[in-house]
Amino acid sequence: MSDKNNRIPFDEDNYTHNINRNNERKLDRRGFMKTIVGAAGVFAVSSLPWGAVAAKELMGLGDKEYPHKKIADLNKIAVGEAVDFKFPGEHDDAILIRLSEEKFVAYNSACTHLQCPVFWQKEKGEMLCPCHHGKFDVETGAPTAGPPRRPLPTIEVKVDKGAVYAVRVKRYES
Amino acid sequence: MNRKHIYFGILLVCLALNIVFTQKMVHQFKFENYENAIIFCVLNLIVFPIALFVYKSDKKQKV
Repeated sequence: MSDKNNRIPFDEDNYTHNINRNNERKLDRRGFMKTIVGAAGVFAVSSLPWGAVAAKELMGLGDKEYPHKKIADLNKIAVGEAVDFKFPGEHDDAILIRLSEEKFVAYNSACTHLQCPVFWQKEKGEMLCPCHHGKFDVETGAPTAGPPRRPLPTIEVKVDKGAVYAVRVKRYES
Repeated sequence: MNRKHIYFGILLVCLALNIVFTQKMVHQFKFENYENAIIFCVLNLIVFPIALFVYKSDKKQKV
């Protein structure tokens, strides 16, 4: 018996020795199984960041208070009007709506469907995403029509000395 | 059914589970159910050693 046959599988890219085919051993059953194991490894590694960010959110690190930001002066916003602003970052669009003398609501204005900006429709009393006609309830930010399934993230606001300030982005109850 | 085919089948099931868990994980994350997202992340992590174990035991078998 030759030395080769004692090592199974022997290190040779050929089974038959009479048909010449490249990478024969790479395309066999075990080679394919190796690929699947590699894929499982890739899945495992790529799911780590999701778990890490989820854990971070659970521990409350995502609920931090941002530096208060002035949105607008009270006398600049009439009841039923909306103001666009950026919060918490420079690129996070948000919308403030004055519902009554005392009541303000603010939401992150990126639609939870495909991130189009959401607009306030005063006549209809609802927020509309014009891209796919997604509608949101103005009181809670919950989706009422169209493709979006998740509510808009609420931004907590505070009225202080004749101006409205954005305080933090609130996690909604799911 | 031959044993090696069973191993192969288990690995295919592992791959399918990976895909399902990843999909669920991302969805649960987007829905902000972070506990569930972590559960699916852990399940995804567990599948890899199982797949590796199945592959090794297949390698140990006589061809």
